[in-house]
Amino acid sequence: MVDMESVLTALPGRLRALGWAAPFPVVMCVCFVYWGARPWTWAVVLAAAAVTLLAPVVAADLLPVALIGFASCAFALVGRTSTLPSGSGTTAGYPFHSVVFGDGPPHAVDLAAGLLMLAFGAWLVPRTVGIHAALARRNSDLLNRVRRLTVTRVDAVDTAAAELRRIERDLHDGMQARLVALGISLRATERLIRTNPDAAVALVAETRENSARALADLRALVRGINPPVLAERGLGDAIRALALDCPVLATAEVDLPRRLPPPAEAAAYFAVAEALANAAKHAGAHNVHIRAAQAVGALRIEVTDDGAGGADPSRGTGLRGVERRLGTVDGVLAVSSPPGGPTIVVIEVPCAS
Amino acid sequence: MRVVIAEDLFLLREGMASLLKEHGFDVAEAVGDGPSLLRALTSQRPDVAIVDVRLPPAYTDEGLQAALEARRQVPGLPVLILSAHVERLYARELLADQAGGVGYLLKDRVFTDEQFTDALRTVARGGTIMDPEVVAKLLARRSGQPPVARLTDREHQVLALMAEGRSNSAIAQRLVITEKAVSKHCTSIFVKLDLPPSDDDNRRVLAVLAYLDS
Repeated sequence: MVDMESVLTALPGRLRALGWAAPFPVVMCVCFVYWGARPWTWAVVLAAAAVTLLAPVVAADLLPVALIGFASCAFALVGRTSTLPSGSGTTAGYPFHSVVFGDGPPHAVDLAAGLLMLAFGAWLVPRTVGIHAALARRNSDLLNRVRRLTVTRVDAVDTAAAELRRIERDLHDGMQARLVALGISLRATERLIRTNPDAAVALVAETRENSARALADLRALVRGINPPVLAERGLGDAIRALALDCPVLATAEVDLPRRLPPPAEAAAYFAVAEALANAAKHAGAHNVHIRAAQAVGALRIEVTDDGAGGADPSRGTGLRGVERRLGTVDGVLAVSSPPGGPTIVVIEVPCAS
Repeated sequence: MRVVIAEDLFLLREGMASLLKEHGFDVAEAVGDGPSLLRALTSQRPDVAIVDVRLPPAYTDEGLQAALEARRQVPGLPVLILSAHVERLYARELLADQAGGVGYLLKDRVFTDEQFTDALRTVARGGTIMDPEVVAKLLARRSGQPPVARLTDREHQVLALMAEGRSNSAIAQRLVITEKAVSKHCTSIFVKLDLPPSDDDNRRVLAVLAYLDS
């Protein structure tokens, strides 16, 4: 799962890194111009170098700080060394040299130190840039992921709410009404059973018929919520059952060795059902072929029909709904339907393999 | 006639058992889950078994699987499958061994006890019974296509009842026509669908179903 917190802090982090890096060259220039190369000036330079070295340890995002800091230090050293008259014989202002080697010509050691830092900087550049680019890429990937999750979460909530409303309506208008009718018929039967047994028998028959209708309603409702074959056998056989029940001649080629999480199976199932319904209702197809297989990391289903084509997922509410439902399990829907056909609907749902 | 019942809902199981006893059946065993069903079927060898598709422990299609497995071990063991929904996929699996003695009905049909006990006896005799809903689905798929489209409305009705597993006399009674008229319709249907005519009810049903399911 993506940590939203880390994604949202990425951008300010990078700005912070720039803010950290900018003062170094300025501070060092000011130091050298005003106070010359005194020991504590060097202390400032070394402190800057230390900070630049530590920065990436504290936060990977601060790597650019290291880069700019090193460049500043190296330039300060090299610049200082090169402006000294050659063979002046003094070590004043060259702490590296005097600390390590005592008195003597300063040139070579400080120049070497500067060049070494420059070389280290050169070594650091491609790595820093590479790591930073990777971080930036990851950040933008994460941002896109957050955007997509935000959209699909809204879709998931909407879809679930719409589904609940539909179920509530179906139960209220269908089942409840039928049960009320059953109650009324039974009450009437109760009244008639002694006075008019024939009428009572007729009423009982009617009541039984009503209960059968209630059961049929309930079956249809259950089929729309959680298709029985899907629950009992999984996606593979559910697709075979869809092909069998399709009014158009449909063939299914299914190779799904593993079960997927139920929400993914249900989304894929309803997508196939919609594609088949469209092929039969709108495309006027004679043959439909379904191919379902597990590819690397994804379940891929192709529904091809020989109908009239010209399907546009942005126009029909059916395919839009399917797309939204697939989106909630990170699935995608692609439709190729040139006028004149054939229509190819591709459904892909990621799955751990 | 000895019957084994497999149904997980206690009320329905006991209700069915008492209904069957009333109609003179002998309930050998009534079980509530898949594994005990398979054991009961292979040890009791009943004349007919009534099996709910969904059974514990997993509430998937244990009942159907146990019934199919029992029929593999005891070929032709008569089984009447009951379910809250009917699927052509399951119907096809039940009919695949062509041994007959299978029924596949919606649970609602238990309400009409004559229809239910008739179906049970037919299956026990080795006949084939398909729920009207399965047949309707098969016919709906084929209705627009050439050979079935050539049938008259009456022939369509006869074909549907035939596929449900009814005998000629039952069809005649249902459509309020003479048995002779039914057999005339049958001959006409067989000619139009290019099916080999046969007297055996079970063979007839299987032929019709195989044709519609092709």
